[in-house]
Amino acid sequence: MSDETENRDMLICRCEEVTLGEILDAIDDGFVTVKDVKRATRAGMGLCQGRSCSRTIARIISQRTGKPLDEVLPKSYRYPVRPEKMSAALSEESEDESDS
Amino acid sequence: MNRIVDHPILGPLADAEVVHIIVDGVALTARKGEMIAAALIANGKNTFRRTVKRDEPRGIYCGIGRCTDCVMTVNGIPNVRTCVTEVAEGMVIETQLGSGEWQ
Repeated sequence: MSDETENRDMLICRCEEVTLGEILDAIDDGFVTVKDVKRATRAGMGLCQGRSCSRTIARIISQRTGKPLDEVLPKSYRYPVRPEKMSAALSEESEDESDS
Repeated sequence: MNRIVDHPILGPLADAEVVHIIVDGVALTARKGEMIAAALIANGKNTFRRTVKRDEPRGIYCGIGRCTDCVMTVNGIPNVRTCVTEVAEGMVIETQLGSGEWQ
């Protein structure tokens, strides 16, 4: 990441408003898995539960630490995978109106 | 109105039933079957919520119900993803601050 100094204000986690700078600082402090970064910065703890930022954070960790991407441990994924109203699960009728 | 009425590929917009919605206390019209986000953008409203930490405006981002950037309070329910929720007659839609509050 050569241009990281200019982009430290870039939002990585849009839900919790966590910037690239905060994530890089967390990695430098020794938080080198996606779960660690989440606990240190709240990135991935917002409404979308890391659907937008988890992969980005994994890549940032990989680039910062030099670890291959597939060796960067992901965070825990909690269901539902996609937010859905309870009514969608309770009746088939409302499934037709569901917003997925 | 910011609605595309003559699309270069899709052609002219067909007529649709009108649905009345109330957005932040203002009565607006929408096309039946469209999503809340589409109706708001057509009516010139691009700020759907404001963020808590930086107090920045947010609107549509992914547009497919993944990112939750476009959430608003709809009929008193906070965090409704407006890009994947259809408008309905008499719907009350409000700009949300942060995670919003049940009303």
